[in-house]
Amino acid sequence: MNPDLLTLQPPSKRKLAVTTAIALAVAIALLFSIVLPAEYGLDPLHTGAALGLNALSAPTPKAAPNPVGATMYKPVQEGPTGYYSAAYKVDSTEFQLGPYEYLEYKYRLEKGASMLYSWTASAALTHDFHGDPETGKGSEQSYDKKDRQASNGAFTAPFPGLHGWYWENPGGQTITITISSAGFYSSAMEFRSDRSRHPHDLIPLKPGLAPGKTESNNP
Amino acid sequence: MMRRIPIATLTLLVLGVMALMAHDDIRVVGVVTKVQAAKLAVKTKEGRNVSIKMNKQTSITRDKKKIGAPELKPGQSVVVDAYGDGYEDLLALEVRIVPAITPPAAK
Repeated sequence: MNPDLLTLQPPSKRKLAVTTAIALAVAIALLFSIVLPAEYGLDPLHTGAALGLNALSAPTPKAAPNPVGATMYKPVQEGPTGYYSAAYKVDSTEFQLGPYEYLEYKYRLEKGASMLYSWTASAALTHDFHGDPETGKGSEQSYDKKDRQASNGAFTAPFPGLHGWYWENPGGQTITITISSAGFYSSAMEFRSDRSRHPHDLIPLKPGLAPGKTESNNP
Repeated sequence: MMRRIPIATLTLLVLGVMALMAHDDIRVVGVVTKVQAAKLAVKTKEGRNVSIKMNKQTSITRDKKKIGAPELKPGQSVVVDAYGDGYEDLLALEVRIVPAITPPAAK
């Protein structure tokens, strides 16, 4: 028999008290340094800011919800034609880009979905037309990266994701950008250099009516 | 003891990745109001006062040429690309001194 087992003594009350106190101190330290900042946004020791834990308790920014039936914009290719089960949408919008600011404006397109676009700016911009695949399915892909003041195109999405433009104002004067597009996209989102996101309303085309017209004003 | 080292390393790695994922890029454009050894205060055109930390890796440029932090002065227009949780916790990656920003023309 192991003689140590015979001599094994329970810890003294003092040792138990010290151990308990240490465990309690560690638990309190973790509570104030990790749990409170991460779970409740309370950061009394500023460890949440230092470790980036405050973001965990922050309300999740509302991403633009995928419209119901987004798969309506997935084309079925038959010969030269891509068929969709919903009418295309149209969009026309204007942006003011302050000195040295940048913004991204992107449409959600399924693989193979098409859109036509024209944009113009009041001065040349640093520009990158690119696509971001759906989360976890690869990295950003650039289609056209050069300084431009205008562009017109017909685009077919090479993969499902967000496709659109990065525009940066390289100078000290405000630039106005106007864009018009029509396509089989399900949503549009504006991303600003202050990290704010602004979903844009898109106009669904009603077959038989001109874009932007209602039944009452359509001749 | 030897088994604890990889576990501790993995835990630190996970915590590090979580901390990095919580951060993002923010561009701050405005006028320098105060310069300290490792901190820069900028007032944006929207009137927001932003305090941005700087470290040895912070690149400071004027006309695309690198310059030292002592050349940052109150009153200069700057474009700061920073990294952090929000406006309260920013670390400057790059500070560009730019020509004075033209206020938008009155309509």
